[in-house]
Amino acid sequence: MDDKVRNMTREERLNSLIAKVEKPTRYMGGELNMRVKSGDGLYRFALCFPDTYEIGMSHLGSRIIYNVLNKRDDTYCERCYAPWVDMEALLRESGEKLFSIETKRPLDEFDVIGFSLLYEMCYTNILTMLDLSGIPLLARERGEDCPLVCAGGPCVCNPEPIADIVDLFFFGDGEELVNDFMDCYARCKKNGASKREMLLEMSGIEGIYVPAFYRAEYENGQFSRLVKTEEKAPDTVTRRIVRDLDKAEFTGDLIVPYMNIVHDRIALELFRGCTRGCRFCQAGFIYRPIRERKMNTMIAYADEQLKCTGHDEVSLFSLSSGDYTEIHEMVPTVLERYTKDKVSVSFPSLRIDSFLKDDLEKMQGVRKTGLTFAPEAGTQRLRDVINKGVTEEDLLRTVRDAFEAGWQGVKLYFMIGLPTETDEDILGIAELARKVSREFYSMPKEKRGKGLRCTVSASTFVPKPFTPFQWEPQITVEEVLRRQALLRGALKGIRGVEFNCHFSETSRLEACYARGDRRLAAVMVAAYRRGARFDSWDEHFKKEAWDEAFIENGLTIEQFANRRIGLDEPLAWAHMDALVTMDYLKREYNKAYEGAVTGDCREKCNGCFGAKIAGYCDMHCPGSKFNKAEEQEGGDK
Amino acid sequence: MRIIASFTKQEPVKFVSHLDMQRLFQRAFRRAELPLAYSQGFNPHPLLSFATALSVGYTSDCEYFDITLSEPVPPDEFAERVNAVLPNGVRIIDAIDAGEFKASLTPLMRSAEYSAVLAFESPVTKAALESAISELLSGEIIVDKKTKGGIKPVDIRPQLIALRLTAYDDDRASFDIEGRLTAEGGLPLELLFRALYGKLGVCAVSFVNRKKIVMDWSQMK
Repeated sequence: MDDKVRNMTREERLNSLIAKVEKPTRYMGGELNMRVKSGDGLYRFALCFPDTYEIGMSHLGSRIIYNVLNKRDDTYCERCYAPWVDMEALLRESGEKLFSIETKRPLDEFDVIGFSLLYEMCYTNILTMLDLSGIPLLARERGEDCPLVCAGGPCVCNPEPIADIVDLFFFGDGEELVNDFMDCYARCKKNGASKREMLLEMSGIEGIYVPAFYRAEYENGQFSRLVKTEEKAPDTVTRRIVRDLDKAEFTGDLIVPYMNIVHDRIALELFRGCTRGCRFCQAGFIYRPIRERKMNTMIAYADEQLKCTGHDEVSLFSLSSGDYTEIHEMVPTVLERYTKDKVSVSFPSLRIDSFLKDDLEKMQGVRKTGLTFAPEAGTQRLRDVINKGVTEEDLLRTVRDAFEAGWQGVKLYFMIGLPTETDEDILGIAELARKVSREFYSMPKEKRGKGLRCTVSASTFVPKPFTPFQWEPQITVEEVLRRQALLRGALKGIRGVEFNCHFSETSRLEACYARGDRRLAAVMVAAYRRGARFDSWDEHFKKEAWDEAFIENGLTIEQFANRRIGLDEPLAWAHMDALVTMDYLKREYNKAYEGAVTGDCREKCNGCFGAKIAGYCDMHCPGSKFNKAEEQEGGDK
Repeated sequence: MRIIASFTKQEPVKFVSHLDMQRLFQRAFRRAELPLAYSQGFNPHPLLSFATALSVGYTSDCEYFDITLSEPVPPDEFAERVNAVLPNGVRIIDAIDAGEFKASLTPLMRSAEYSAVLAFESPVTKAALESAISELLSGEIIVDKKTKGGIKPVDIRPQLIALRLTAYDDDRASFDIEGRLTAEGGLPLELLFRALYGKLGVCAVSFVNRKKIVMDWSQMK
């Protein structure tokens, strides 16, 4: 690659660009444990993250996929992140193409480009990355010589808004799916298959969706149906799951970044899935069924990774870590094992119960971090509607324990605009904050910390596909602002309480893209051409670019974000089978309006997978450790 | 026990900032399972300090740090264990026991030697370059320096000990440069280059390597 232009080599030219940006370590690579491969004949996979290095490197899923692909002898997986605006400008000015971190290879020279889709607001960065690589943005404009453009991650639940951009989607867990994909890729390449032949072959793999084999139709300005244009393509695309997570491939030796990334620690996933069924929470439905890693597996991973990285922080996370079957054994064991070496251990999403009270103090032993609670709604009525099984008593008891253990920072997370929300529910948030404050200041001075730092955060509710609220509208921007003001006023003067709320314009666009259809790709491209980039960063969000893009395409944000969809109307994502059935989601929707709660599925199967339960969920099969009913009857534990 | 070590910083680590170098070494020490001494206080951190910072983007053949250990480790073993776990581009060259010397390394610095390559953006004749250099060396070199009080004109000529053109080919010039480097500061190379570009009317991309930091070890007794 020593293509010398005038008096500098390409390496020197890229170096001179990297030297000019604000954070060169975003692009330089060479980190400890970065995979290095050489030799001809390797399939080149660019694992792309449509956000900055420090955010992308904090994403565990990408790190797993990086390891899975690089364990293959026939593939070299390299990383690439969205260039920050300074690097984008330098690349455009110099005419250099966007390049990978590992070998600085231009993106258009890869065989496969795979994007991680974690958040709708990073979609325009996909366009930046393709554009800076000289790759046409629309799938239909890319020929045989272009890399195959793929995408995976939670946003694939509704892939339609970017269906025109991406050749192929990975739906569900990637650990095994990407291997099946690469096997198929290798086979097709050897057989000299065309891109179309290859995509058709791949569409037969469980979890792969090829949007080009379907055409969307519309009636009266609304999505009406998706029509198959290729006979052999499947009618529905079933979400792929890894059945035995404990044995599934993990990250291998973790790359150690030079810069301070957002989650600069060892992250270990205790389990995937959640049994709680909070009705607003997409993650609570799209990662079902629950699958755990064994405690000893987790400890072995922690040992290995501490040794190969030199990190001093381990985070054991899941969607609801208090539900981990071995939690009461695990917390004291890992605290004991690591804190003596000045390694701090954190358990985000852990509901502190009476068993864990004694461990609270040890957890903050090395470094004091804040405690976080997510009651989500301010009144019991609304918490029942959203099926958030937290009571006021639970919360107050837990904060009391925490305050007694010396904590003084508490974060409370709420949502504004949940279905059926009234002003009373909003004022309930302030009431709850007042009680937390009272709890702190009613303690004797010598028993508590100096001053309470209670942060109340209120985000805007975004209805998401495959939740019981997928049919619900988002409240209008004016209404969001009114409710935020109402809450701000009500929180005024409460001792030790601070208010934080998210700007609503991006939440609205998020709602639009979460439930949107294929027509939104053109809007996105138009917004990109008008300068939309890094839309999740408030300082970069260009409202006019988006407004004009919608007008140009004869669509409105409101028709996607603020519309109530009828329970019997066609959904743009109905061909995606997330395993949780639409019937179940409708039942949950109706129960929400009745204010009826649904129990944890450990207690009793609620039938969320319908007929597909066999082979996909074995929670209530004989011998399952989640089977509480059996445990009680058998009485052997 | 306190160890003084010298190390290299090469490609690609040359882009790692001073603050991030601190973390790079701390993590390496943890991987090497060295017995580190920690500061007292709310947020304990290892007692690691560097003699001086290196500009982001420069490589170096010889930088210095000192680190306090809670138990004695032979300096050679220290170097070996750390080198076994360092990322490519950083290497400990030498480590010694600081013994009774307790003070910071920074006041021991006297000057530094660099090699630099300038790749000019448009053609420059060797004669033009040579005359620009001798012009530069003949009097004051006034540059706009960013200080706390804003941008101020400063003469950097006293900081410049030597500037020699060592090679010139294909619009690329190689230099040996020697500049003062003390606890109070040093020769700002980028400003020196800018002054040269000003004389030539042509800009360049610069590649700089610090070859040596001259230290007055006699103070260590």
